[in-house]
Formats: sequence, C-alpha cells, structure tokens
Amino acid sequence: MNDVNKEVATREEQAPARQEAAEVVTLRPATDIVESKDGVTLYIDMPGVSKDSLSVDVDQNVLSVKGAINLHTPEGLSPTYMDVHSGTFERHFTLGEQLDSSAIEAHLEQGVLKLSIPRSEKHKPRKIEVKVA
Amino acid sequence: MISNMLRFPLSMFDDEMDRWFFPEAFAAGSARLRAGYPPINIGTTDKGVEVYLFAPGMDPKALDLVIEKNLLSVEGERKLPELEGDNNSVRQERFEGRFKRVITLPEDVDPDSAEASYKDGVLHIRIAKKPEAQKRQIQVSVN
Repeated sequence: MNDVNKEVATREEQAPARQEAAEVVTLRPATDIVESKDGVTLYIDMPGVSKDSLSVDVDQNVLSVKGAINLHTPEGLSPTYMDVHSGTFERHFTLGEQLDSSAIEAHLEQGVLKLSIPRSEKHKPRKIEVKVA
Repeated sequence: MISNMLRFPLSMFDDEMDRWFFPEAFAAGSARLRAGYPPINIGTTDKGVEVYLFAPGMDPKALDLVIEKNLLSVEGERKLPELEGDNNSVRQERFEGRFKRVITLPEDVDPDSAEASYKDGVLHIRIAKKPEAQKRQIQVSVN
C-alpha cells in the first residue's frame, strides 16, 4: 500500500457530532475537499453564518468548524415553511499528520468557508536531481 | 474516477470506510439539508411575508427573481471553482448547477413592495401585505 498518501486526506471525526446530537441537532454543512501537492483545501457551505458567529479550531488533530445562523428576522415572525430546522452548522474532520494544522488559513465569503491547510514542509513532494557520473 | 483511485487509493478508501462504519452520518444522525436547492424558510408577520433562501457563494446579480400573480420564483446557477492543474477532488457534496424554486405567496401581498437583499449567502425577500390586509387596532369610543 502507498503509505505516503495514507493520512493526507481529511477524514471525518464522527464521535463528537454524535454526542452533541442528543443535546441540540446541528446541521452538517456540505463540504468539498480538494487535494494538491501543497496541501488540502476545504470549501464548506454555511449560509447565514457571519464571521462573528463562526469558530474554527484544532484540538490535537481534530479540526472543528461551528457556526450559528443569524437571519436578522423581524419581531413577531411566525414560520410557515422551513427546510432549515436548526440554527447551527457543525462538522469535525480528522487531519492527517502530514498536514500543518498550525498554518490553517480561513476565509469566509457569502456563507462559504474556505480552509487552506498546507502540507508540512517535510511532506511536500520534492524533485530529486539525478546526477550523471 | 479510476485515475483518482489509482493516484489516491487510501483517501478514496477512507471515504468508503466512513460509509461502512458510520452509516448514521449518511442517514439521520445529524440533520442535513436535503430538500430542493436552495433550502428555503418562510415566515409571516402582521406586515408581510419574509422569505429566506440559503444559497451561499452566489453573485446576487446572477439571481433571477420574478413575482407573477402570487407566485415568487427564484432562478439561478451555481458554479463551483474549477480544479487547477493536478489538484484532485477528494469529496464533493456541495450543490452545483442550475436551480429554480417557486413559492406560493398569500393572496393579500403587494408585489410592488418586494425588496431583496443578499447577506452571508442568504437571499432575503420581504413582501408587504396590501395596506387593507394589514392588521389594524380599532379604538372603541365610549359615549
């Protein structure tokens, strides 16, 4: 097996989400993951979440993303139809040890959170010069 | 697909493992947005109707909003960033493509009053009730 690629991809951590489901049902935001030689980029759909209500943190190798939806609803609003029943997005990802979790870059634009996680330097692919004797 | 599996055999495998060992994550374990795209919430107040469409990452100019009689339709296309160079898609869950949703509004709304704004990826449409349909407090005069 090709061990080099073993843990490059982010993998989901299921346990925390399950524990919290008992307290409050959270939405699992749709996520795209793109892998390149420099690292991994996640695109996470979190409509209605502003920068102030978003938290992104890494504990050990678990990346947690959580955000509250704020719709600025007027007073006295009574719901008549709802596709979105929860006010919170939450998802956890396990990071491979080849990724540098201390160098994550986060950008939030119109409800899309983009997380860029670089590969640690020693795990970046290198080109090796072949010397001809 | 085949080439993805050849180049990244284990990242594909991980995805399958999730499916085998944590099937609830793909079912009802945590709520997922699974209705038509984009998901919609609708509410009413004494003054009118508030519609919220959860359509992140859009250019609001590319959204087509039409009210005809008492039907509000929202149409658009979502394009996702293209893969560059040798980048490899490991997972794709986000909606991509054309969408259209039609909402039936109450009969007593005033289509001319409709206002729309786009913030944090949510399209908010507010349509007021016709003045005669709005709730009024009537004073009782005492002789």
